[in-house]
Amino acid sequence: MQFVRIAALKDLRRRLSDPAALAIWIGIPVVLAGMLSFISNTGGTPPRARILLVDQDKTALSGLLPAAVRQVNAPFDIEDVTLDAGRKRMDDGDGTALLVIPAGFQNAVAGTGSAELKLITNPAQQVLPAMVRQAMEVLVESAFYSQRLFGAPIRKIAAGTGAPPSAADVASIAVEINQQMAALQGVLLPPVINLTVKREASAPPLNFGQLFLPGMLFMSFLFIAQGMSIDVWDEKREGTLQRLLAAPQSAGQLLLGKLIAGIGVTTVVSVVGLLAAVFWFGVAPSRLPAALLWCAFVSGALIALLTFLNLFASSQRGAELLSSVLVFPLMMLGGSFFPFEAMPAWMAAAGRWTPNGLGVATLKELLYGNVSVTALGIGVLGIGIPATLAFVGAWRRLRSFANA
Amino acid sequence: MINIQGLRKHYGELIAVNDISFTADEGQIFGLLGPNGAGKTTTIGCISGLLRPTSGRVTVGGHDVVAEAQDARRQLGIVPQELALYSDLSAAANLEFWGAAYGLSGTTLRKRVADVLDLIGLADRGRDRTSTFSGGMKRRLNFGCGIVHSPRVLLLDEPTAGVDPQSRVKLLDLVREQARTGTTVVYTTHYMEEAQELCDRIAIVDKGKLLAIGTLDELRRLVGEKDLVRLAGRFDAAAAARSLEGLDGVEVLTVASDSITIAAAAASRKLPAIFAALASAGADIQETTLSVPSLESLFITLTGRELRE
Repeated sequence: MQFVRIAALKDLRRRLSDPAALAIWIGIPVVLAGMLSFISNTGGTPPRARILLVDQDKTALSGLLPAAVRQVNAPFDIEDVTLDAGRKRMDDGDGTALLVIPAGFQNAVAGTGSAELKLITNPAQQVLPAMVRQAMEVLVESAFYSQRLFGAPIRKIAAGTGAPPSAADVASIAVEINQQMAALQGVLLPPVINLTVKREASAPPLNFGQLFLPGMLFMSFLFIAQGMSIDVWDEKREGTLQRLLAAPQSAGQLLLGKLIAGIGVTTVVSVVGLLAAVFWFGVAPSRLPAALLWCAFVSGALIALLTFLNLFASSQRGAELLSSVLVFPLMMLGGSFFPFEAMPAWMAAAGRWTPNGLGVATLKELLYGNVSVTALGIGVLGIGIPATLAFVGAWRRLRSFANA
Repeated sequence: MINIQGLRKHYGELIAVNDISFTADEGQIFGLLGPNGAGKTTTIGCISGLLRPTSGRVTVGGHDVVAEAQDARRQLGIVPQELALYSDLSAAANLEFWGAAYGLSGTTLRKRVADVLDLIGLADRGRDRTSTFSGGMKRRLNFGCGIVHSPRVLLLDEPTAGVDPQSRVKLLDLVREQARTGTTVVYTTHYMEEAQELCDRIAIVDKGKLLAIGTLDELRRLVGEKDLVRLAGRFDAAAAARSLEGLDGVEVLTVASDSITIAAAAASRKLPAIFAALASAGADIQETTLSVPSLESLFITLTGRELRE
């Protein structure tokens, strides 16, 4: 085992002498995660629509409109502006929609006139203007039914001078509304449809970062496995592989050393990624040892599998091509580019059975859920058996590969 | 120390090594001399255990390289023809690794690394990355990696190929130094001068076969005191051969339409008779070369070809 340690240290030293490659292995997933996060425009807070409001009516009812919008807890921010300022800001793209409440709006709601609301939306945005438009349609419809049901009290409010109503007026309006509601009670209550909502006890849904972190870690592992496994070709080209095979050490020890060096590199990446999970996603530190062990196990298996494949290529270029052809679909299917939760069901089911997919799925459970012994056993066997076969195959193949 | 009996190595129909036998003793520099493709590297590969012999037996320090591979390999140090170094590691790190690969560790390893760096003249560059070294420095480090564990047998496969004259002298000194400490050295080369200068015993190989073996004096005696005369021009091969066979003390080695090779004692005195005989056979002689007895002339005598062909 002395030689295994020395061979691993040698490979680690060689890797450290090429910090650019290390930075790329670690950096690519981080950059991709950042880009995906940027594209998704999340960053933890949902987007909000900015409505620029021009109130030309300046009445109690026109004042109620923005208040109603605020009360429905919609993702809208309403800002009072003048018409000119509103138009200029819309021209600059600074706003989701410009809503103009014309003079006479209150009278129109009271049924004593007509008015036309104007809603100008920002064509550069897709989803938020549609949400604003729908919300306005609901409000206008509400105003229509309110007029039909509570026309008299509304007219009474509209007839006011603009000063706060007296206590007697408020009481009178309240009595009228109450009488109207009592008249409708027979029709509206009890409701025809009785909706019962039953909440199942479940873990809170995972956010974007939580979903992506395991996949990003495994994307890094795949890059590292690709880089470390091609090293047999580098050693063959440099003549050191043949020289090593003439030494009184077994080829298995040499391969094991390479495997341990690779796991050493992936462990550094794992520690960084898992600490990020603790600090940003509140993962309990007690979950880290198992997650770290799992990452080491799966990354070692990936290195063994790719090393085995590389030994059967006819040239280094062929080996690089072969591993790329394998690695990128594995990343796509195995939950590194897109989380399983965002994939079609059939694709997610297939992806969960790839070596890295099994790794990602189990790591998610280890970090955020409760992994069962059965699931863990399936993961260990599903990854461990092919990896062990690959390692033994590579061991047997190495001497003829070196002499070829 | 090394005993090779009836070694054969086939690659399908191709016979790379064909029934080679020799022994090399402790402290001896044994040369394998032959042109490219003679089977020298394959022979080294079989001794080192990298290649499995098709038949025959190779023992190193009494250990069979196939049946007792690990024990045999422990005795060996190898300096391959091509550089075999980790260019992204320092010279010291390379030596440390190769020493450890042969079982050295701790203080012994560190001391050997320092000694070897000193021996190969790289003590002041030990911490520098190998990729920054010149070709000659890399060659010396390549040699150092083969001796860092103080092997009992050192296999050197054309270690001076492509090396500048200064580094070559230094390398040959290092080889002699190893032999002086009792290491058995097997040295392959296609440079006749190197073999003559360095080796205690020499085996001449060509096309996988061992043609002659012995000390330099023994090999010279094989060609006798005969000089070698090479003639270039235009010849009627059959007529030229007939006319030369009539001359006393002249042995025709090769005859072709554009060249003739002759072995003759005191050839310079026989040249007029040779020219006259060839003129009578209608030859047009354009160039004449006369060589005193050497490994080169022995190789030509044995194979009809020059060593560098």
